[in-house]
Amino acid sequence: MTTRRGFIASLLAAGAAPRLGWAAAGNPSYLAAARDTGGQHALYGLDRAGGLRFRVPLPARGHAGAGHPQLAEAVAFARRPGRFALVIDCATGIVRHKLTPPPGRHFNGHGVFAQDGALLLTAEQASADSAGIIGLWDVAAGYVRAGEWATGGVGPHDIRLMPGGAALAVANGGIATDPEDRTKLNIATMRPNLAYLDLAGRAQEIVELDTDLHRNSIRHLAVRGDGLVGFAMQWEGEPGAAPPLLGLHRRGAAPVLAEAPLADEIAMQGYAGSIAFAGAGDDIAITSPRGGRLHRFDATGAFRGAVSRSDICGLAPLGDGYLASDGLGGLLAIGPDGARPLARHGCAWDNHIVAL
Amino acid sequence: MRLTFIAAALMLATVPARADVGALLDRHILPGLAAFADATGALADDAAADCRAPALRPGLDAAFDAWLPVGDLRIEPSETGALSIAFWPDPRGFTQRTLARLVAEEDPVAGDPTAFAEYATDNYTCRLAATIAADLRRQAAALATAWTDGFAATLRSAGAPGNATYLSGDEALRAVYTQVLGGLEFTADQRLGRPMGTFDRPRPALAEARRSGRSLRHVILAAQAGHDMALALAGHDLPVTTAAMGRVRDAAGRISDPAFADIADPAARLRVEVLQQAVDGLHTAIAAELGTPMGIAPGFNAQDGD
Repeated sequence: MTTRRGFIASLLAAGAAPRLGWAAAGNPSYLAAARDTGGQHALYGLDRAGGLRFRVPLPARGHAGAGHPQLAEAVAFARRPGRFALVIDCATGIVRHKLTPPPGRHFNGHGVFAQDGALLLTAEQASADSAGIIGLWDVAAGYVRAGEWATGGVGPHDIRLMPGGAALAVANGGIATDPEDRTKLNIATMRPNLAYLDLAGRAQEIVELDTDLHRNSIRHLAVRGDGLVGFAMQWEGEPGAAPPLLGLHRRGAAPVLAEAPLADEIAMQGYAGSIAFAGAGDDIAITSPRGGRLHRFDATGAFRGAVSRSDICGLAPLGDGYLASDGLGGLLAIGPDGARPLARHGCAWDNHIVAL
Repeated sequence: MRLTFIAAALMLATVPARADVGALLDRHILPGLAAFADATGALADDAAADCRAPALRPGLDAAFDAWLPVGDLRIEPSETGALSIAFWPDPRGFTQRTLARLVAEEDPVAGDPTAFAEYATDNYTCRLAATIAADLRRQAAALATAWTDGFAATLRSAGAPGNATYLSGDEALRAVYTQVLGGLEFTADQRLGRPMGTFDRPRPALAEARRSGRSLRHVILAAQAGHDMALALAGHDLPVTTAAMGRVRDAAGRISDPAFADIADPAARLRVEVLQQAVDGLHTAIAAELGTPMGIAPGFNAQDGD
C-alpha cells in the first residue's frame, strides 16, 4: 500500500539512485495505467504476450504516459485538468521528479519525448482561456521547464512526434474548459484542428475540417513511419448524428474522413477514445469504450470491420495487428481474423497503451 | 443473535443463487427473436396479399408487439441488426428522407399524407410497403439466426479459451445485465423524454410510433421486457422489481392519449412524468435487487470521456 506520504518520501530519495535502462525494468514493450481491484492506481509495464513486467503505484488516476527512449523512465500524466506529472524510475519504482505546470497552465494528459530523450514535450493549456501550449522540459537538467510554444489551437490533447523527429503533430481538440473542472465552455463555437509544429515551435501547417464538423473534437493521434497521420475524434454535436470518427492526413494534402456503415457508426456513440496503426501499417483502428467497439479501416479509410469488447479503449500496435486493453482487465490481440484473448488481470486498464 | 439471523436470511434472499445468462437466452431472448421472425413473416405474407394500409395494420401491430420484448437489446448481432429494424430516434431524419426519396423518384404521392394513407394496390408506395415488409422478414430471420447460431454460444462459453468477447462468466452476466438497464434508460429518456421535451416546449411529434398510436404501448411493453429479463437472469422472484412493474402499469393506465399528443396540457404532462418516474423506479429496483448483489458497477473508461 503506497500512501501520499510514501510518495513524498520516495521523491526525496530519488536523487541518490542510479538511472537504469529498460532492461532493468524487465524490458517491457508497453506502458499502461490502471486501477487495481483494491482501488489503488498504478503504472504497469507489459510484454507482447500480455504479461506484466513491472508495477509502480500512482497516487491518483493517470491518463496517458510517455516512455523515455533509453532510460527506464516513464512520465505519467494526471487526468485533465492535470496539476502534476510524475517521472517514474520503472526499474526501482522511485518517483524521480514531480512536474508541476507553471502558474496559469495545466497538463492535458499527453506528452512525448523528443531529441532522443533530451526533451520532454507536454500538452498543456492556459487555465484562463484554454489556449493550447506545448511545455518544454530539459530532461538532462532534471526535467527543468525550458520554455513553451503555442499549439495554434484551443484545448490540445494528444501530441505525437513525426517520423524523423523534426516536427510535432498536435490534436487541438478545440474545446475550452473551465479551469477548475472539465465543464465545456465553447461547444457552439469550437474549432478543432490538427496542427504541425517544427521543433522551434513554429506552426508549419494547420488542418481544419469542414465547418459542419466543427463540433468533432480532434483528440488522439497515430503516426505511421511514412508520415501518414490518423486522427480520432469525439463528437460534441447532436446525439445520433453518427459523424465520421477517424481522419487520415498526409502533410500538404486534404484530410480524408473514414466512415463505417451507418449502423456501425451509430454504435460507436460518437466517441473514439484511442487510435493506432496496426503493426503492419496497412490498417488503422479506433476504439469506443462507450460503444464497446473497435473499428478497423484500411490506410485509404475504407471500413474493414468491427470487434466488440466491453469498455475497450487502450490500443497499440502488436505484431501485424493490435494490442487492445479494457476496463475489465482484459488484454486482447487483434488481427485480420478477429480478436484473441491474451490475459485478464485484476485491474481496470485506463484509456491508453503507450508503445515503447 | 436472532436479529443477525434474520438479517442474514434477508440478505441471502436478495442475492441471486447464480444469475443465469443461459436461462435469459432460453426463456426470453431466443424465443422472443423467433416470435418476432414469425410475426414479420406473417406481416410480409399479408403485404404480399394486400399491401394497402388497413390490410397491413393487424400484422404491423403484431410485429411491433413481438419486437418490444427483444427490441431494446443492443449487443453483438442486435447492436447493428436492431438499428435497421427500429431506426428510432432519428434526429437527422434518415428514415423520412430515404423513404421520401424512394417514393418521390417514382411517384409524387409521397408528398401528400392523405394520398399516402389511401394509396391504391397498384402504385409504387404500395409496392414499397410490401417490399419493406419482405425486407423486415429477412432482417428478423437473419437476426434470430445470428443469435441462435452464433452469439448465444459466445455468451454461453464466456471464460472459455479463445472467447475474446467475454473473458469470464461474470463479464457475460454484466453485459446482459447492462442491456436490461440500458433498455429501461432508453424508455425513460427517449420514449418518454423526447415527446415530453421541456415544459415550455413539449414535442409530441417526437413520440415513437405516434402515427400508429402505439407510443404508450411501447413504453409498457419495453418496461415489461426489462422486468421479465431481470427475472429470467435472477432465476427467482424479485418482489421489489415486480412491485415496481406494477407501478409502471398503474401509471400507464392513467394516461388517456396513446400517442402523448395531449402532452402540452399540464395535467396530461404530469401523468407522463409520473410514468417516467415509475420506469426510473423499475430501473432502480432492478439495480438494487439484482445488480448490487452481483457487484456490478458502470464501465471504467466509458464513464471517463477523454
